[in-house]
Amino acid sequence: MKVFKQLFIILGINLAGELLSKYLHLPIPGSISGMILLLVLLLTGILKEKHIRETADFMIQNMGFFFIPATVGVLVTYHALDGHYFQTSLVVVLSTIIVLAVTALSTQLLINLKERWKK
Amino acid sequence: MEKITNAHLFGIFLTVGCFYVISLVRKRSGLNWLNPLLLSTVIIICILVMGDIPYDHYMKGGSVIHSLLGPVTVVLALPLYRQRKLLVEHKYSILGGIVSGVLSAIISVIVLCRLLGINELLERSLIGHSVTTPIGIGVANMLQANEGITIISIIITGLLGGSLAPFMLKLLRITHPVAKGLSIGTSSHALGTTKAIEMGETEGAMSGLAIGVAALTTVLAVILMQLMGWY
Repeated sequence: MKVFKQLFIILGINLAGELLSKYLHLPIPGSISGMILLLVLLLTGILKEKHIRETADFMIQNMGFFFIPATVGVLVTYHALDGHYFQTSLVVVLSTIIVLAVTALSTQLLINLKERWKK
Repeated sequence: MEKITNAHLFGIFLTVGCFYVISLVRKRSGLNWLNPLLLSTVIIICILVMGDIPYDHYMKGGSVIHSLLGPVTVVLALPLYRQRKLLVEHKYSILGGIVSGVLSAIISVIVLCRLLGINELLERSLIGHSVTTPIGIGVANMLQANEGITIISIIITGLLGGSLAPFMLKLLRITHPVAKGLSIGTSSHALGTTKAIEMGETEGAMSGLAIGVAALTTVLAVILMQLMGWY
């Protein structure tokens, strides 16, 4: 019963998010609108953590599982690369490393600056 | 054989089976670097190719699991809610970090593509490589790029970001869990977030937050670029 109740709530919020994105013409997909909606519902106390806890934690802890079909899709989409494997991989690899480093360093720098400012 | 593979059960069974067996091996052997998602993908692709099983057959069941990505994204709000104090405390650092990450993603793709002499279609298709798949597809469409290339680059980025993050963060001496989580979510969206969640509750929550904020920032940046007539 509990799992069904939690699943019902989560799926309902997802559906509401899809509707919001579609009818308000938001530039973000319904799942992200749903995520924001769930956060608002939790923050306002309309929804309590216990209403979704077990099911949500199961999904989060096993998130990789839900991505398997999408990653297997590489089997058919790789044709789109049309032979540009090396250049594409190189750009993606380097860019990913750059983004990771820039975000980590700038966030850490901003946090350190703030903490020094406080003192 | 065709009768068995061309049914919903086949894809679901194969996916659940691979994920379970690899997770079990990982737990029993203590080899924490084993990535169940990456390994399951490789094994399933090998089975499909060697067994001469059409991709469409696998996706009958696969699409059922794939359709659950919506609710999985929605529940990422929960770790965020649990970390709300940290979120408010570091709001400017968080926003600053994500925005600089998003800008570095776009600029690095443009610069690298021009340096390597890559054609413009490929360049446009790679701009959205760091964001979550549905937004990446949206960005590709905004830029009239090739969706297929965008999707594949998003997946490579996600797998790569998640695997490189522990090593990179150590190398750069990043110690703050907020900085760790944000960098993973900004660079490698939800796929990388699976790794951030393993690192800790704060890392996971910040990575989840970064998926949404980075996606929005990327869309805004692309709109701005188009208004300025760059694309």
